[in-house]
Amino acid sequence: MTRKVCFVGGATTPFDYGPTGFESIEGGAAECIRETRKDIPDFSLRDIDLMIYSHFSVHFGHQLAPEWIIHDHLGLVAIPHYRVENGGNTGGSAIYAAALAVMSGHHDVVGIVGWETMDSVTQSQGSEFIAMASDIRYELMVGGIYPIYYAAMANKWMKDNNVSEEEVATIGAKNRNNAMDNPKAQWYRNEHKYITVDDVMNSRLISYPIKKYDCCLMTRGVAFALICSEDYAKKVNPDGYVTIDGIGLSSCTIRAGDRINYPGWTERYGPDYPEMTEFGACRNSAEQAYKMAGIENPLKEIDFGEIHDAFSTSEAQIYKALGLADEKNIAQFLRDERTHMHGDIPMNPGGGLMGYGHPVGATGIMSAIECFYQLTGMIPKKHISRKTEVFNPECGIVNSHAGTGTSISNFIFRRS
Amino acid sequence: MSQVLLKKNTGHNSTKKPVFTEKVEYRPKDVKETGLHFVGHEISDDGKVMNQFLHYDQLYTIRHGWNSRFFIGLLEGKIWGTTCPKCGDTWVPVRTHCWNLDCNLQQTEWVEMPLKAKVHTWTVAGWSGRSSLKRLPIILVYGIIDGSKVAIANELHGIDPWDVEFNMPLKIVFKQKEERVGAVTDFHFEPVDSWKPSPINKEKERIKQLVEPVYEWIKTL
Repeated sequence: MTRKVCFVGGATTPFDYGPTGFESIEGGAAECIRETRKDIPDFSLRDIDLMIYSHFSVHFGHQLAPEWIIHDHLGLVAIPHYRVENGGNTGGSAIYAAALAVMSGHHDVVGIVGWETMDSVTQSQGSEFIAMASDIRYELMVGGIYPIYYAAMANKWMKDNNVSEEEVATIGAKNRNNAMDNPKAQWYRNEHKYITVDDVMNSRLISYPIKKYDCCLMTRGVAFALICSEDYAKKVNPDGYVTIDGIGLSSCTIRAGDRINYPGWTERYGPDYPEMTEFGACRNSAEQAYKMAGIENPLKEIDFGEIHDAFSTSEAQIYKALGLADEKNIAQFLRDERTHMHGDIPMNPGGGLMGYGHPVGATGIMSAIECFYQLTGMIPKKHISRKTEVFNPECGIVNSHAGTGTSISNFIFRRS
Repeated sequence: MSQVLLKKNTGHNSTKKPVFTEKVEYRPKDVKETGLHFVGHEISDDGKVMNQFLHYDQLYTIRHGWNSRFFIGLLEGKIWGTTCPKCGDTWVPVRTHCWNLDCNLQQTEWVEMPLKAKVHTWTVAGWSGRSSLKRLPIILVYGIIDGSKVAIANELHGIDPWDVEFNMPLKIVFKQKEERVGAVTDFHFEPVDSWKPSPINKEKERIKQLVEPVYEWIKTL
């Protein structure tokens, strides 16, 4: 018998590239916890019985085992700790690990600190570091950066699904414009402007069909989340917690070209899936999460989501993998702006990776925190206005995504 | 499929320790492994915040081990794949053990692959990692080498970026022998000799519009 898992609080530092005022990772983590304590004053650091650290690349951090610096800075010696690393899905995987710890009954109160310091090196060097999570023997020197692999997948996906460049560009504009309502978002702090689909279309080529404004940001940032048993949630935040009713984690190939005939997929979903175009691990992990949460029709039962928009093309691909649309209607789904704030299932009201930012180890935590704020009525307190508040939500989805779709997690959050 | 099948996968179960007596180096002369050291710092004008510059540069040894035949093959102008003697699946990039769970990690055999492929999907890159910037714009294709179950990424040369097409037939072309380094950059794809691009269309015009500024920009690097 497993126990209910709850998300009871969390906060991020401002996300930025360059000085944020929160440069030291241990200081940033401490400030995230201080903000969480302002929201839930009854939470004490003494209550934590496990810390999970969520960090992708020591190349960016120029420090091995940097979680040890944070952990003892927080005063938590003797509390068990370990680090989770799973590419872009590091944050989602840390939440998955925390949920398992609580479900098992072995831990009651689990803190997660996620961070990345991507401005430690130049942008082009940073792009190469990230690409070291491709198979360096076969792909790094011929591709060089992740957007190229994603662009090759998206190009075929768009042709196969009759989706146009303009239709996916709406996502790039949507998420950046949502971020203009979020004072911690990198887009708000730096470029600070509303953009149009034309701006996305006219931005510089990264890799066809992906342009600059179709891409997420490189970011420095830290995030903290508190995951716990329902008994603890009722004790410290009885009116403001959410339950994590479904969790799913799945995997795919490191090299996108290897998945076109992979037996693990063809056995599950038949031939020609996921091809090189679909995110099989997203579909598979969503199915796990939906089953656990009792969701049969995600489009009707989920009110909104915070999902991994590494590229506007990949957000569109994720809609399909989550079962919100299919090959026949995905283009119309995009044209109808169903995932905009005025749509029936807003996606990334917090700004997502393209607007809020993508400090890899903190990203999935940020998505979960934004989902939590929406479900607990905290948006007016955390965002600038109510423009990015989802109307009376009951259920949200959090999605975290790694590699070329190599590891993907999904979580169903419900208002308690 | 014109494959040459080797009876044994010579990489597996070898107990003899390899001896290396000759090393080929092509590292630029100015690259030095200096180890970790601080090379500078800066303090904000208000005197409150400090940034420090740490440099390190490490030489890694990638031990290809059982995969070595593939990389040695590149030096020889050959593409080696592997094939499972149980289920017959064949791969480039290679797998030393079969991916089919029913084959229970069956050790695979080496096969020489034909230097023919077709485009599975493609993109035209206008931005890349630090080491690739000067080669932009790059056409990257995922090509399926004849007989392989999977696609391998590499550059497509010999055509304008807007002319690449899905399923177009390709040949694999190697660099001159003295330029090869035993890495996938030793080869690239080119259209087969008989291939002719289709007439200009709306998408080609769009790609042309996106790529033209890239040509201008790389001149400034």
